[in-house]
Amino acid sequence: MKIRIKLLAHYQQYLPPDCSSSSYEVEVPPDVRVEEVLAGLPVPSEESVVLVNGRTPQPGQTLREGDVLCLFPAIGGG
Amino acid sequence: MYGWNSRILRVNLTTGETRVEEVDPRVARDFIGGRGWAIRYLYDEMDPRVDPLAPENKLVFATGPLTATPVPTGNRYMVVTKSPLTGALSCSNSGGFFPTEMKRTGFDLFIFEGKAERPVYLWVNDDRVEIRPADHIWGRTVFETEDMLRAETDPRARVACIGPAGERRAPIAAIINEKHRAAARSGVGAVMGSKNLKAVVVRGTRRIPLAHPDELKALSDQVVEEVKQAVAAGKSTLRIYGTAYVPPVTNELGILPTYNFRTGVFAGAEAISGRALSQKYLIRAKACYGCPIACGRLTRVEDPIFGGEGEGPEYETIGALGSACGVDNLAAITKANYICNELGLDTISAGMTIACAMEMYELGLIPESDIGRPLRFGDAEAVVEMVRLAGLREGFGDLIAQGSYRLASHYGHPEFSMSAKKQEFPAYDPRGAKGMGLLYATSNIGASHMAGDTAYMEVFGVPKKVDPLSWEDKPRLVKYFEDIFTIVDAAGLCVFLSIRYLFEPTYNVEPVRISRLMEYATGAGYDEETLLKAGERVYNLERMFLVRAGFSRADDTLPPRMLYEPMPEGPAKGHVVELDRMLPEYYRLRGWDENGVPTAEKLAELGLL
Repeated sequence: MKIRIKLLAHYQQYLPPDCSSSSYEVEVPPDVRVEEVLAGLPVPSEESVVLVNGRTPQPGQTLREGDVLCLFPAIGGG
Repeated sequence: MYGWNSRILRVNLTTGETRVEEVDPRVARDFIGGRGWAIRYLYDEMDPRVDPLAPENKLVFATGPLTATPVPTGNRYMVVTKSPLTGALSCSNSGGFFPTEMKRTGFDLFIFEGKAERPVYLWVNDDRVEIRPADHIWGRTVFETEDMLRAETDPRARVACIGPAGERRAPIAAIINEKHRAAARSGVGAVMGSKNLKAVVVRGTRRIPLAHPDELKALSDQVVEEVKQAVAAGKSTLRIYGTAYVPPVTNELGILPTYNFRTGVFAGAEAISGRALSQKYLIRAKACYGCPIACGRLTRVEDPIFGGEGEGPEYETIGALGSACGVDNLAAITKANYICNELGLDTISAGMTIACAMEMYELGLIPESDIGRPLRFGDAEAVVEMVRLAGLREGFGDLIAQGSYRLASHYGHPEFSMSAKKQEFPAYDPRGAKGMGLLYATSNIGASHMAGDTAYMEVFGVPKKVDPLSWEDKPRLVKYFEDIFTIVDAAGLCVFLSIRYLFEPTYNVEPVRISRLMEYATGAGYDEETLLKAGERVYNLERMFLVRAGFSRADDTLPPRMLYEPMPEGPAKGHVVELDRMLPEYYRLRGWDENGVPTAEKLAELGLL
């Protein structure tokens, strides 16, 4: 199934070179867990805020077709 | 004493007399400094029911014990007074270089009393204090005032001043230092204007005495090194993008204020982001004194209509003058920011008030003849024009200059004002960040992101992420964040570095490093427990000021939109703020009664009886 990976703030440096927006599509196995996808990303996810469709995922949460998995660095804003 | 200068400069503008006073060491320790000392003096000396623009109101400029020390971001001061916008307390905060220069004059606080007969400014050059005539600069912009006063005092002097907005007592007028940094909120600039005080100019050369300078330096160096490593590794978002990196983040959570908080999702979020700002207008990052982060943005816009050069915009400014007004034109937002700085206006209240007026105009509640032009969401030119009119209090700008609550009430519909205690919300829709809702409602200074910003955890995951949509855990979180923000403010530090680096080496939010730094600076006996208690003490004394001013539970509330209109779309869809469920628990945790008044037991515990 396909999901989208969205990277914000300076994580946009990890976007694929041909990506013109903040997100890109990836193919993942059905019912993949959030943690499994994170492990395959070139982003320091332990220092990140992780959202699924804008919401806080539960531990062990699985993803569904079309979900948006968003990451940005944990840091205070303004 | 160490850390503090332990001296206060009292300036009576009515009589023209100035007086130097020593500070009681016990008051110094128990109330930390800055915001804490300021409320101790205001509470003891002033009737909280006075008219905020009357001579009886007092205006305090307050540095903290860590201001102008080697502690990174020791560059803040607070302006504390009774607010003409809210009728409650103002605790407005600014950084830059003015605060350190002020502390180095040898005074921790300036207390202004009364009202000068003619416009004046205060010139403090170490021990030499002069109240000087300011007739020749009255009416000048912030930028002109700064240049003229440095020329006639000392080119190394630092200036905090008001612009036309403060002179004309706009309830959303700011006090601006170094042209672009603002003690912005709650109308502190109007209080200064009401006293005919145009500016405060300082030049200080004293060193701050420190109790344990070697230890202080070592720990400060360690923190600076950690930040520098993050910057060098390309991991400092604030260095790379400034706070402007935030719009796409809050938009992803569905809490970016859009169309006067009708929704939290804005199609133009990326166009008004830090990335866009860096690509189009950034000249370079700019730091306040002693800051290794450098989140400030020196910018230039080359545009036939919106051209200019200055600093900003910050996230809050983008949210208010941008998405809340439906504007995705970053050049226009930046231009409106420059004008706010030049005329001395709070960008948050200005933008949010224009957003309120736009909604009411579109609903037919404000006639076009009153405004003199159409005022629709998304009209970038209208935002820039309204800001200019507000800063001068001309035409429809006179109503905008009074804030959204007075504007909306003028047309019979205060419910369109997205404010708490009449102060406009910052740029987080609390329906999707419930802690912010409780914070806005209960804050002693009205809605604010600087009064205990639970967005740190709810949005940004610092020190750890909590679910922004849950409300059950938020009363405890709000109380805790209010108390630790009080400590940071009172100490004279910036929250950006402090919350991330001084409260935890390992993501446990305990005031480990800041209590050590406070002890190294002052030697007054601080540890984690006494410092947290002092933060709570200051917060409760501020609350007692509000109680005496006539505030109660009825004022700890939010606009009906936040309580009864579910968010229409996005990740927070269907949510409102469950204020009535959070408030009783918050009062209980605070040791306040069901009317929001600190109990005798709590006051006795804090030594406030």
